[in-house]
Formats: sequence, structure tokens, C-alpha cells
Amino acid sequence: MNKVLLIIPAYNEAENIERVVDNIIENFPQYDYIVVNDGSSDETRNVCRKRGYQYLNLSINLGIGGAVQTGYKYAQDKGYEIAVQIDGDGQHDIAYLEKMLPYLESGEADVVIGSRFIEKEGFQSSATRRTGIKILSFMIWLCTGCKVKDVTSGFRAVNKRFIDIYSVNYPMDYPEPEAIVSAVMHGGVVKECPVVMRDREKGTSSINFMKSIYYMIKVTLAIIVCRISFGVRRDPSFYKKKPH
Amino acid sequence: MLPSTLKVVLTIGVIAYFVMLFMFLKKKELELKYTLLWMAAGAVLGIMVIWPYTLTWFIHLLGITDNMNGLFILCIAFLMMILMSITSIVSKQAQKIKNLTQTISKMEKRIRELEEEP
Repeated sequence: MNKVLLIIPAYNEAENIERVVDNIIENFPQYDYIVVNDGSSDETRNVCRKRGYQYLNLSINLGIGGAVQTGYKYAQDKGYEIAVQIDGDGQHDIAYLEKMLPYLESGEADVVIGSRFIEKEGFQSSATRRTGIKILSFMIWLCTGCKVKDVTSGFRAVNKRFIDIYSVNYPMDYPEPEAIVSAVMHGGVVKECPVVMRDREKGTSSINFMKSIYYMIKVTLAIIVCRISFGVRRDPSFYKKKPH
Repeated sequence: MLPSTLKVVLTIGVIAYFVMLFMFLKKKELELKYTLLWMAAGAVLGIMVIWPYTLTWFIHLLGITDNMNGLFILCIAFLMMILMSITSIVSKQAQKIKNLTQTISKMEKRIRELEEEP
């Protein structure tokens, strides 16, 4: 068994999933993968079954957060050292893991986020969305002091400690920004690694224009609530220095 | 002081309220722990119908001059509390359903693997 698990949440991705998984099997045999079919109403499950993929089948749609968390629980059960979440639509290039994983292996970071805004190459999303992402990024900096540029990136690698944390507690819907706050509040080091993302080839993104307003309000509140619920954060050294 | 007609109507209302609650409980259509807040609301309502002066006293304590307004405010306050508790119950159940779904999916994969083995 490999020590790295790729978690691929898939909701109605029948058109994309084959390409994504075949790419992993052919070109990246050093990584294990698990497809989490999030109660899709299309052929996603049948595609996985016919092709003999490794997959978990959620009988009801839990949303991206619940699906990714299932992957973390699976990684915890199987004792993986590193878990990587990638989107099921083929936006993320797995080759970049070569650059992301050393951060975890050296212990330099606990959570590594593949960020498209550091070198500003490849698919950059629309201007409206970039503005939204900047606002959320500012909110996270305000709440935690951690600077992350691509807060909505679903391309992330975490070490064993965070596999355990996320398998117990992972936000439900639109989880990416909240998961960063939660990581920092658990005393984890969050690092960004420049990657190039592709635009999705088939299907549509799960967030349309009308949902985006709801998204901003919900995520902003979630960040604040997540921050407040952890209470006063002290420097990690505070716990090491024992007064007695 | 409550008008006597209203007092009679309210008394009947409170009795009907409790009868309904106990009917539901008897048929096990409601779980007792979720009805405690409903019972507390009924009890307060009952006290106020039997001894309206407690209502007048309490309402004046809050600075409300009209008795009927006070009654409405109390009712709304109880309804809001009950609704909030219901939202909390729904959220907890959503968590439980999520955990169940995730566990089932892992078990289903395990079963598939066992079936494939010769």
C-alpha cells in the first residue's frame, strides 16, 4: 500500500471521472485513490463499478464537505500518512503533488493548499469570483493572522494529524475557507504552493451567480463562528512552557 | 384583569392543548424529551389563566402597560424558544445522518471487497 491517498469527491461527474481516475492509474501509480460518489443522480456510480475503480458510495447527497470527510475517514481507517483532496472534474494537475508533498514530508507544514494565485498562471476564474476570494482571504487573515491567497482551492494535502482532525470535524457545505480557519486554530501550519489549474472541461461548476451571494454570506459567517468557537488562541509555545 | 369570556375560552384552550399533547405522547408520536418545552409553555399559560394577577404583575415588571399585548409577547417568546430548539434538533439529526451515511459507505465498500474474494 502507498502512503498517499487521493480523495476524489464526485457529484454528477460521470463525464469527467473516467479521465481523472484513468490518469491517476496510468501516470501516478505511486498514489492510491478513492472516489467518493456523493449520491450522484447520473451514471457516476455505474462508471466506477464498471471500470473497477476504488470507490465509496454515499447513498444520499451530503455535499462536498460530507463527501471529502468520508475520504478522510477512509484514510484514517486505512492508516494513510498523507491525504490529498482533488476535484472530480479534472481541474487539478496531480503532477504538482511532487511540489506539494515535500512540505508535509519535511514537517514544514500540516496543510498544503495548491494555489493558482501565487504565480498567476493558468485558469484564474472570473474577476467577480477573484474579488470574492480576496474578501474571504482578508477575513481569514483578520481572524487567524494566516495569509492564504487561494482560500477556495479544493486542491489540498494534509498530514496524518489533520487526517485525524478532519475525519472527526469537517465543515459541511462550502467547506474550503472554513477548513483553513479550523486548521490554523488547531495549531496547524498552512502553506500555499503555486499550481496551475485548468478550466473544467465538461459540466458546470456547482456555484452559479445566484448562489454566490448566499455563498459569501454563509462562508463569512462560518469563518467568524469557527474563529469564535475556538476561543482565545495562544501561541503554541504557551502550552510547552509549563509554569511549575 | 382578563374578561370572563376570554378566561373561559383560554381555560378550554389550555385543557385542549394538554389533552392533545398527551394524546400524541400516548400514541408515541412525540418523544417526551422534545415536548418538555411545550409542557412548560402550557404550564405558564395555565397559571396565567387561573391567576391572571401573576400575568399583570409580570407584564408590568417588563414595562408593558396592556395585558393583551403582554400575553402576545409571552406567546411569541415561547414559540421562538420552541422553534430554536427544533432547529437545534434538526441540526443534530443532520450530523447523525451524515455520520451514518459515511459509515454505511465504508461498510458497503468492505462488503464489495469481500464478495470479490474467492
